Amino acid sequence: MSILLNNRTRLLIQGLGNEGQNQIRRSLDYGTRVVAGVHPGFRGGDSFSHGNHSFPVFATVAEAVEQTQANCTIIYVPAPGAADAILENIAAEVPLIVCITEGVPVHDMIRVRTALADSKSRLIGPNCPGIIQPASNCRVGIHPPDVFMAGNVGVVSRSGTLVYEAVDQLTRAGIGQSTCVGVGGDPIIGEQQQAILRRFNSDPDTDAVVLIGEIGGLAEQAAAAYIKRSMNKPVVAFIAGATAPPGRRMGHAGAIIEGEAGTAEAKITALEEAGAVISRSPAEIGSTMRRVLEEAGKYQPPGASAE
Amino acid sequence: MNIHEYQAKQLFKSHGVPVPGGGAATTEREARELIKEHGPDVVIKAQVHAGGRGKGRIVKRDRTTRIYNDLTADPERYEGQITGRRRGGVRLAGGTEEALKEFRPMMEQDARLVSIQTGADGVPISAVLIEQQTSIAKEYYFSIQVDGANGQPLIVASAEGGQSIEEVNRTNPRAVLRVPVDPVEGFPAFRGRSLASRLGLPSSAVRPAGEMFANLYRVFIDMDASLVEVNPFVLTSDGTVVAIDGKVGLDDNASFRHGGYEEWRDRSQENPTEIEAEEANIGSYIKLDGDIGCVVNGAGLAMATMDTLKLHGGEPANFLDIGTVNRKDRVIEALRIIVNDPDVKTIFINIFGGLARVDIVAEGVVDAVKELNIQQPLVVRLNGSNVEEGRRVLHDSGIAVQTADELGDAAELAVNAAASGKRRTRSKG
Repeated sequence: MSILLNNRTRLLIQGLGNEGQNQIRRSLDYGTRVVAGVHPGFRGGDSFSHGNHSFPVFATVAEAVEQTQANCTIIYVPAPGAADAILENIAAEVPLIVCITEGVPVHDMIRVRTALADSKSRLIGPNCPGIIQPASNCRVGIHPPDVFMAGNVGVVSRSGTLVYEAVDQLTRAGIGQSTCVGVGGDPIIGEQQQAILRRFNSDPDTDAVVLIGEIGGLAEQAAAAYIKRSMNKPVVAFIAGATAPPGRRMGHAGAIIEGEAGTAEAKITALEEAGAVISRSPAEIGSTMRRVLEEAGKYQPPGASAE
Repeated sequence: MNIHEYQAKQLFKSHGVPVPGGGAATTEREARELIKEHGPDVVIKAQVHAGGRGKGRIVKRDRTTRIYNDLTADPERYEGQITGRRRGGVRLAGGTEEALKEFRPMMEQDARLVSIQTGADGVPISAVLIEQQTSIAKEYYFSIQVDGANGQPLIVASAEGGQSIEEVNRTNPRAVLRVPVDPVEGFPAFRGRSLASRLGLPSSAVRPAGEMFANLYRVFIDMDASLVEVNPFVLTSDGTVVAIDGKVGLDDNASFRHGGYEEWRDRSQENPTEIEAEEANIGSYIKLDGDIGCVVNGAGLAMATMDTLKLHGGEPANFLDIGTVNRKDRVIEALRIIVNDPDVKTIFINIFGGLARVDIVAEGVVDAVKELNIQQPLVVRLNGSNVEEGRRVLHDSGIAVQTADELGDAAELAVNAAASGKRRTRSKG
């Protein structure tokens, strides 16, 4: 068992432009099972090859799903068409949709969330690094694969590069990861941190969770409420943007302090009260988690190699 | 992206939302005509994007720092006012001469508005909105925003308008109504009438208020807005409703559908270095007060880098999310902006490659040091995709650079370099 992905994941890639092609090659090299591409008018014809790997390319998601039983889609479609691509996957009843695209208009996401509400699909993103699960070699995203290592800690973050930063620290501290989920930096996204925490909470492969939030919105407060109510595994949290000025959008459309609830301090207070262990410095996420795992008797150093 | 009040009111008017008669003027001739048409009693409002306008002060450029310091130290004594000697950004006047006396200082060549939100330089005044005065029976609050958690538009309204809604929410939360909007249904007039009735508006005003709310929702949809706020709209003494203020925020991500929002944008209200950064297309840049220039990939890591610098006692000169680097020109362009910022005493490059390849970043850094003749101490931390190659490129280049593999170590190097002002010390990593 594990969350969102597993060794039965059959990946469909939508949007085979240059970036989509580069990324899917790296996922294939990582060992991810890619079964289909969708790209109307794909210049490479009706299939895509990389090394010994090859998969058919279709014009529509519905055809691709029917022919290949894909059960997860990664979307690299540019912003003007990204919401439409998500809607296409919802209509085709793809169970898990991951949208990498940055810059999707917020009104488009209102439409997407309405369509998701009564659907059989779950969405991660947009404006996210995707999901990676080292133990099943499943990379549905844009991660640098080398820093990841299989293990028992889950990671959930709004920011992509902070997933890499946190994971690098974990791996250096001898702590592997079960699944790493970047939920995205936009004001409206699919699953939020709280939903991912719930998944980790019932995942036997996960013993503790790193939660990385940032300024803006109320998602961390919702996560804190869930931790307080139901979480039975330790959570180490870092909130980015403690030094950000109010009223300015810090890169992510969602990362803007509007009112007191959006500040890092308000989020840190909520998480601390809920029992999460706060890492004030982003450089101490790994060492904090190691301490927490050791205290819980859950630290499992990889192999027998000495420090 | 923010737009001016006079632009928000143009949008309101074209969507059937009642606003006071008036318009924007930049010359005395235009001002005279507006006063003639809508006076003699008028409201005069400086058009700036900064908040705190009414309590801010209109001053000449050479006095902004002093007034800013006074204003932030002792608001009671230095806050701008709507009448009297302490000229704020919103003024009342009776008659043409009095009105022009208020207009002139706002449109003078070197006039600035300073408020607690503008910083010590204040902001230039782009135009002056001149409107007829409204006889007010009661003030109300109304806004439409995006509720991220529920993925829906959210309408917030209150019968306690004219003040900060956060303040009302703190002191009297029951006075703040929240109405989630079903995006499929939208916000038809009957929903608006129901809200008007809940706000306690008199029966005669329920129909026009309901229509006003529905029309404001159309502005929100038509413009791809992230915020439409009217604080206050008022019940007039003759029993109808008027939006006497207006604020509209536009979603930058939707600008491709609206011609880049060019007709609504006012670059004079933006920081010049930020405009330069935008034109160079180097990602998302925000000017800050410190002396360590930052080049980082990813918004989260860029914020975390600022946080780490501060924890080590340093001050970032900017936020920069350079995005995905797959061409070295992007690094050179970013460093050009950073190097040309006179506040920058040290440069800190922190790249964790995912989509980005750090060997390309390293090549860009090496080229930039030579091409731009960078004099400030340079601290570089690289990790992620192609990191070994990237570190080798830096090492082999022979450029003066301090490196560290981990974020905390690198931040410490940058802070020390900024503190000592020493140039070109030896590599650590």
